[in-house]
Amino acid sequence: MLKIEGLEAAIDGKQILKGLDLEVKAGEIHAIMGPNGSGKSTLASVLAGREEYEVTAGSVDFSGKDLLDLAPEERAGEGVFLAFQYPVEIPGVSNINFIKTAVNEVREYRGLPPMETKAFMSHLKEKQKLVELSGKLANRSVNEGFSGGEKKRNEIFQMAMLEPKLGILDETDSGLDIDALRIVASGVNELKSSENAFVVVTHYQRLLDYIIPDFVHVLYDGRIVKTGTKELALKLEEKGYDWIIEEFENKQS
Amino acid sequence: MATITLTDKDRFLINQEGQDFSHEAKTFIKIRELALKNLKDLDFPTKKLEDWKYTNLREVSKTEYRPQTAVNIIEEKINSHKIADLDAYILVFINGFFVPDFSETVEEKDGDFIVTNLNNAKRKFIKLVEPYLGFQTRAKDQFFVNLNSAFSQDGGFVYVKSEGKLDKPVHIINLIDGDLVASYPRNLIVTEKFAQAKVIVTYETIESGSALSNVINEVFVAEGANVTLDKIQNENENTYHIGADFATQKRDSIFTINTLPANAKMIRNNLNIVLDGSDSVANLFGSVCLNGDIHVDNQTYVDHAKPNCESNELYKCVVNDSATSIFNGKIYVNKIAQKTNAFQSNANILLSDNARSNSKPQLEIYADDVKCSHGCTIGQFDDEALFYLKSRGMREVTAQKVLLDAFIGEVLDKIEEDSVRKYADKLIADNFNSKN
Repeated sequence: MLKIEGLEAAIDGKQILKGLDLEVKAGEIHAIMGPNGSGKSTLASVLAGREEYEVTAGSVDFSGKDLLDLAPEERAGEGVFLAFQYPVEIPGVSNINFIKTAVNEVREYRGLPPMETKAFMSHLKEKQKLVELSGKLANRSVNEGFSGGEKKRNEIFQMAMLEPKLGILDETDSGLDIDALRIVASGVNELKSSENAFVVVTHYQRLLDYIIPDFVHVLYDGRIVKTGTKELALKLEEKGYDWIIEEFENKQS
Repeated sequence: MATITLTDKDRFLINQEGQDFSHEAKTFIKIRELALKNLKDLDFPTKKLEDWKYTNLREVSKTEYRPQTAVNIIEEKINSHKIADLDAYILVFINGFFVPDFSETVEEKDGDFIVTNLNNAKRKFIKLVEPYLGFQTRAKDQFFVNLNSAFSQDGGFVYVKSEGKLDKPVHIINLIDGDLVASYPRNLIVTEKFAQAKVIVTYETIESGSALSNVINEVFVAEGANVTLDKIQNENENTYHIGADFATQKRDSIFTINTLPANAKMIRNNLNIVLDGSDSVANLFGSVCLNGDIHVDNQTYVDHAKPNCESNELYKCVVNDSATSIFNGKIYVNKIAQKTNAFQSNANILLSDNARSNSKPQLEIYADDVKCSHGCTIGQFDDEALFYLKSRGMREVTAQKVLLDAFIGEVLDKIEEDSVRKYADKLIADNFNSKN
């Protein structure tokens, strides 16, 4: 589904990704871990098409399409979804109008007619339930005055509404209490199928207690330096990253 | 032999002559004569004047506009300028002249209100017109105000008696038809104590090569009265629209004016509000979404003459292409106007490199116990918000429209009449969608 080869990316002239390889197949969950500044969020941003990042080398193939060639909205249309680390507040735009516009734009991209109001509303209610998002938030401005947990649940709610093939969760767990974490994780688990895949970017192992990854990758200095299974995450929790960095640097020299 | 050199203004004024006002009552002829006298000493405002710094009128001064009646009046063409689902008394004016066949007047004896054309009111209700007409427009130094006072053909007259209420709004439709048209419509809205009135004034074009639309609205808001005026300016791209709105408010009154400049070559609005009674409230709202190379200049003047009054001013502008939006808001607080609350805000979004916006708030405060605030911003749509919307599948244009609706919506929501709100919304959407 997703094949990243030799990806290099820079922001403001500073090289962040330095030749990253990653392959994600349908039905898989990949966790990306790594110390601060290793490039985790850059990877998520580049995949979603954030313009500030300049891709200097490498390729990203998404279901046969050159992802890097697509505008952010086209990527969403193709089925890429980024759950933001810091969801944006948009005063004056109601959550319901926002998600309805998004759903119908994505449907248009996919050659589907706009959703009828009734079908949309029942779809909406179902997905709100999934992340235990209060119906009251629907008429509030997007993310405005939402608690941290509500914002992150709103991200997962949007993901559920847009039904992407690839969901990228950028530190969705940061700042979440255990209840919110559980809700977010169970939302992802509900959405998981043999047709879609998730890339979960996280600092902490605790999210991976709830979202069980098939693979755990350690990102360091703009590259994936180690790949393992969920046991690797446990080991990282216990021993930190230093041993991996050391291992990597020994290999380099 | 002495030769007389005619200036552009002289030639312009000669072109306006030829209308016969001799049938009018003396008191009204006096207004015209005084205005003509003022015009002798005045000239077209130039950019040297602070209040006209950004707006060039050279082309107006050199164009041979003339007052002219419409040749063919076609019902369908007028109907297309009605507002869908607006149940209102409709008065139609073409090139400033009243079109009775397509208008609905109300002048019942002992009725709560009168809705008719001003010329008719000048004959039949002279006592209701005389104290008010021209009362607020005596400023000697205003060229276009005097121009309208001298040459105004006709206009709407709305009168609501004490404790009375219009049972439905009045919609005054001003249309331009023909080439080189000079149109001078002038509306007079008069309320007695505790009366209520809602008036919608639209300015549009049937067909026109070019036109000067020089308009005035005079409003009297009596003690405890509540008047709303919605103004939609949507003429063709060859029209210069120069408007002035005057309101005088007595104690405990409320006046709300919603201004929506949408289309023309140039639009100038001068709002003059005098809070001449304590505990009165003035609301001035403006929604602006411009494209092409239109030039819109909104000037507001709020005079807090009495204590304990409140003024709320909110203008929001989105500027595309190479359009220009100007806002100049003046608040004057008299030294006796203690406990004044005056709020002013002007926010601008520029959508292209060639779009321009000038914003100038001015406060002149002589009382010492007042709350006045003003703020202006010029910026762009928030990149983070745009990316967020796009990452959810919205095309750039859709994402911008969503942010536009949120931005302008705050002001459009002030329009109470739902059908008018929708009409305004569509004009804004059309302007946004047709940007280059």
